[in-house]
Amino acid sequence: MEPTILLIVLVCVILGGVLASLGVHLLPVGGAPAAMGTATGIATGAIMLMFGSALTGLFTAATVAMFSNSIVLVALSGAVGAMLMVSIIFLFANVTYIFGAGCVPVSGRVAVDPITKELQTPYKTPQTDGHGLPSVCLISGIIGGFIGGFGGALIYFALINYAKLEYAMAGVLAMGIILANAIIAAYNIRGTIEGFHDPKFRTTPKALLVCFVASLLCGIAIVLALTTGVITGGAV
Amino acid sequence: MAAEIVLLFAWTIVIIALAFLACMFEDLESDTGSQSNPNSQVQLAPQVGYVHRFFNKAISGEPLSWCMYATTSGTIAWVLLKQGVTPLLAIPIGVLTGEALHVIFSTTAHVGRVSGQKRFQQPVYLDVLYGSLLPIAAFGFIGSLCITSIAYIQSNLGTLSGIPQLNHPFPFPLLCFIWGITVGAIGSSTGDIHYGTEREFQDRPFGEGKRVVYHGKITRYADCGIRRQHDIVSFCAKFGGPCTGLTFGSIILFENWRTLVGMMLGGYLPAAIGLSDTAALIGIGIGIAIVVLLLVVNMRLVRWARKTYGPFVGA
Amino acid sequence: MGHHMPPPPPEEVVVVVKKWWPPDETRLGIISAVIAVLIVIFPGLPAVIKAIGVIFALVWGADSVRKTSKYGLGTGVPSIGYFAVIGYGMVGAFTGMAFSRYGHLGPVEAGVLVGVLFMAITGYISGILANTPKLIAMKIPRLERGMMELGAAGTLAVLLECSIIAGTTRWEPVLENGINTGVIAVILILSSLAMFHPYNACLGPDEIRERTLKVSVEISGLICIILGIASLVTLGGMATGIQMIIFGVIVWLVFYVSFVRAAIRESHSVTGTGLIKTIE
Repeated sequence: MEPTILLIVLVCVILGGVLASLGVHLLPVGGAPAAMGTATGIATGAIMLMFGSALTGLFTAATVAMFSNSIVLVALSGAVGAMLMVSIIFLFANVTYIFGAGCVPVSGRVAVDPITKELQTPYKTPQTDGHGLPSVCLISGIIGGFIGGFGGALIYFALINYAKLEYAMAGVLAMGIILANAIIAAYNIRGTIEGFHDPKFRTTPKALLVCFVASLLCGIAIVLALTTGVITGGAV
Repeated sequence: MAAEIVLLFAWTIVIIALAFLACMFEDLESDTGSQSNPNSQVQLAPQVGYVHRFFNKAISGEPLSWCMYATTSGTIAWVLLKQGVTPLLAIPIGVLTGEALHVIFSTTAHVGRVSGQKRFQQPVYLDVLYGSLLPIAAFGFIGSLCITSIAYIQSNLGTLSGIPQLNHPFPFPLLCFIWGITVGAIGSSTGDIHYGTEREFQDRPFGEGKRVVYHGKITRYADCGIRRQHDIVSFCAKFGGPCTGLTFGSIILFENWRTLVGMMLGGYLPAAIGLSDTAALIGIGIGIAIVVLLLVVNMRLVRWARKTYGPFVGA
Repeated sequence: MGHHMPPPPPEEVVVVVKKWWPPDETRLGIISAVIAVLIVIFPGLPAVIKAIGVIFALVWGADSVRKTSKYGLGTGVPSIGYFAVIGYGMVGAFTGMAFSRYGHLGPVEAGVLVGVLFMAITGYISGILANTPKLIAMKIPRLERGMMELGAAGTLAVLLECSIIAGTTRWEPVLENGINTGVIAVILILSSLAMFHPYNACLGPDEIRERTLKVSVEISGLICIILGIASLVTLGGMATGIQMIIFGVIVWLVFYVSFVRAAIRESHSVTGTGLIKTIE
């Protein structure tokens, strides 16, 4: 295989991995405390929210990759799929918080919503870290979903179109790399984060560096495998 | 409209209807055996002295466990389909196998967690153990059956609608894997709120986030007698479950709809040959429009809740 | 009949019996690694022997998950288990299978070990970076070693299971039988569960290592059953499939019964039914 193609695959894998990690930092996830209305964010782990949305994006990206050869369009389709999934989850999570539990969505990390300038602290239940998904988290999370989905679809497209892998193989490998990076990001945020306004967001560059190295190593493994010449054929 | 396109949309509607059911039963199943994020409170309760009669089904987070049931079901169904068994039999048999694994993992999780809490004097109630397994398997069966059917239809969508190129490129068990993860991620992010914030702490004031001091001190008494998992399902089936079903249904609806409309307007359908960047672009455009609409609705909902409910007034 | 005085309680004698199973963490790691590596480089071995390799690789992984997540990961225990299999294991298996045609020596095909080694190194480096105070600062003792073991164990497990399905670790047969069919999905998810479910399911202050590891073997038995059923229609063939199913059922039954009995015996108490109490 030509060195330029190998380089493109490597770059796409690294970029996809780092973007997935950045996406996790932007998603508002509260983990287990959020399920009790004790923390702001979505009531599931950061990894699984990112993984689920990236997989939804990947599903659409795989369909779009059948009739488009443009890397940007395929990656954008994946990004929009992931964004759509998180925005629907945000809507119904807020519906459940507001109508099922009677909580007002409020941030626990900032006193004033940096986008809508709404006061947060008076609405917060004492001894909690916020509850529900206030406006700033919605915007941050939708950007996060977009970035994560873009990364996943980018890896998938690079693997089927440049590395000429089979669809299923490319899908599984893209999942693996997304997952590994999302986990590293989740270890960095220690389970919960509200989005770009959260003080924890400042630690993002550290995680991005680790994810860069991890994706680089995974990318080298894939490129090494491609250089053997055994993995040929492919669907496209 | 060409017959192929009508069929394509008709099968997509079937998928969407199944998706509504799948995620609703996913959430109710996680209430039938306490699982995922709210289960942290069931786990914590004996440590703060609250011995309880809940079923501690700590298989893992919902995404991974649902991925496991759906993928196992899909693999067994795929083997049977390969042997020439009709899908009408193959998929339910596959799902039964998946549910057998579900029950096995449930027992190991429950007895494992309870025996790991020996010093907090939490006993193993055998009636809780045995009595919860059948409802768990029953709810799980319906959910897994829907997911496996969705994956089966999607992997054959093209053949069913007369455009064989449109079969999804991923194999059947891999689609089960993807939807299993997604269904679980949605179930734990939407439905769990109703169980965790409301039903698990029902004797605490309504309308506030649950304070850290309440953690572990769950509501252990039912309307009559001692609460067990069965009392939770009936409650969550009235709000959390349907809400979760709507989430996954809407995701599948919008996701497929925008792709199909893009393909149709982009001139890719019904021939389904060649390339069409316009189709991809239209799909992306519609997707972004839906996201913006949802964001606006959601932000208005937040503002409405702030105005109507007002600032926190409790102690 | 008068009152019998209850016999005086026997004096507590602490007898330290050095049991052969389970060996300590280091020994278990070395034994499992050697067995799994030896089995993976002989692709011609019968499927049941490969299944033994799978059991060892997964027990090793489960033990690593246990000792790493004991200190708290900041998110759920499962994360590190599927990190090992779906994350690093899959990439490592991909690399290993690409290299499997190199390093031939009679029945030995040592090329697959490239993937295992590469993922062990990747795991080690990520462990160092995750533990570095200036970066993620997870502050978990011996995280480097844990992640290295997880990368290697995950890769070995995926390779061995692909080898059961396809009868070899060569690229084309595995692609045809294991990946394009989608069986890889069930391999990935069940292997992840075999690694993280034991510690996740037994979590608590009274968790016992011996009991926890039984769950891993039990899940490996289930994996053997499912792979046996799957190999009925892949290259594995009917005979392999039936052997695997029988082997899996035996392993599962023995360890499931043994685990549930142990857990019930070692719990605080077992009652058919009963009321609850509040302990102040």
